[in-house]
Amino acid sequence: MIEIIARYFTVDWQAVILAAVLCLSLAAGSLSTLVVSNRMSFFSDAIAHSTLSGVALGLLIGVDPIATMIAAGVVVALLIAAMRQRSGLSLDTLLGVALAGSLAVGVILYHRAQGYSDLHAYLFGRVTFLDTTDLAALAAAAGLSLVLVGLYSNPFALLAVSRPLAQARGIRPARYDFILIVLLGLVVSVCVRAVGLLLVNALMVVPAAASKNVARSYRGMFWGALCVSVTSCVAGLVLGDYFSVPPAPGIVVVAVLFFVASLLFRRGTALALDA
Amino acid sequence: MTAPVLSVENVSVEIGGRALVEHVSFSLGPGEFAALIGPNGAGKTTLLKAILGQLPFRGSIRVNGRMGYVPQRLNFDRTLPMTVLEFLALTLQRRPVAFGIATRVRKSVSAMLERVGAGALLHKSLGGLSGGELQRVLLAAALGEGAQLLLLDEPAAGVDIEGEAAFNDLILHEVRAHGAAAILVSHDLSVVADISDRVLCLNRVLMCEGKAGDLLTAETIARVFGSGKAVYDHHRPVPHTHAHGPDHHHGH
Repeated sequence: MIEIIARYFTVDWQAVILAAVLCLSLAAGSLSTLVVSNRMSFFSDAIAHSTLSGVALGLLIGVDPIATMIAAGVVVALLIAAMRQRSGLSLDTLLGVALAGSLAVGVILYHRAQGYSDLHAYLFGRVTFLDTTDLAALAAAAGLSLVLVGLYSNPFALLAVSRPLAQARGIRPARYDFILIVLLGLVVSVCVRAVGLLLVNALMVVPAAASKNVARSYRGMFWGALCVSVTSCVAGLVLGDYFSVPPAPGIVVVAVLFFVASLLFRRGTALALDA
Repeated sequence: MTAPVLSVENVSVEIGGRALVEHVSFSLGPGEFAALIGPNGAGKTTLLKAILGQLPFRGSIRVNGRMGYVPQRLNFDRTLPMTVLEFLALTLQRRPVAFGIATRVRKSVSAMLERVGAGALLHKSLGGLSGGELQRVLLAAALGEGAQLLLLDEPAAGVDIEGEAAFNDLILHEVRAHGAAAILVSHDLSVVADISDRVLCLNRVLMCEGKAGDLLTAETIARVFGSGKAVYDHHRPVPHTHAHGPDHHHGH
């Protein structure tokens, strides 16, 4: 095990993977609290599924698929937000349609472009193939997430408690919805490259969900989510290597174990208080 | 002449093709305390939401200064971990509360809570507060941010019956001390008679407007609420302390 860990610090391409995974964990972990407390988890899932259309479109028209993937994530996110405001339909209905629709279009386009080759990597991730380009994109996503959390986490927290109260204090919900949607569109699209579109949402949701179970303050929830995210990503990478299993599902399994442990801890605390 | 803090001109609100508020006009000067009364479904909360910018409306609403708002009941995710200190600090500092709370803000929040008799709640979880405690925290938030206009939507609704009169007294005292203009939505005519400078009677349209003592006659009350209603003194043991509209339900 120590040998495996040491390789992530000595072998160049493995060091790149570790750095990329750390950036991924910071991006997802810092946004996780906003996603969970502002009830945006299905939203990030819909964005993740829409990225396949972007990748396929890029391959079809001969444009860098990373650029079209990010563009597709942001465009679908904005479309959902606009339809939510204008149609009066509930968000879960819109997301259900967007998620299934964008995935179906994506699979058709992908079939036309690639004949399903390499689809597996987009669905379940390709952590072990992350390169310096991915590292740069993930570092930018982490930086952007942390800056926006630093600038706007207070209004988002107030919106999470009550939109009418926030509005009374001059916070415009539509403006912050837009900021979070665009940010999620960008970050989720970048993270899909690493952990796959079927697993990326777990990284956006599980860290804060686990932290929420045990935290007693918003501050505790935020830092707890960040710790769960970083620990799950690094542990999932190393354990995946050790047990020869794919790292992306390994990362998600470790995060889910944190969630189960947090539930048991909460149940234990509640029983102790009742006794 | 001093500019009004709130100016409402010919405001109508329609939802789903149904007019909830029609052609309402009034204004409120600095420090003026107005009660907005009317039976259930009269459009009181709708009018308040239009003033808050939460509902689309026709006409014009101008607010001169910051608003503070105490809702009837705050519906929120009670499992969200957030202390009362963090909640009140959210609008008092730019630094994310997740990165810590400045000493200056901590002191200020303590003082805000002390004013409404809720100093002990500083480190309590927002989700664990009782209805009455939560309303006090919301009142502290509304008062504590230099608001020039307070919108109080039946703020004592979540408080138990015994605490209701005391809570209304607290509101009156604190709002007067604060010097802000205020609109208090109420279906409780005795509260209105006791504490307001002006009364606005709403039943979709503005039916009357004027000083509390002049307006609260049996005739006006019957016109706004329907017949069989009266004003009773809260502190006198009478069989029906509240004057309710025809379709009022307790605990709404």
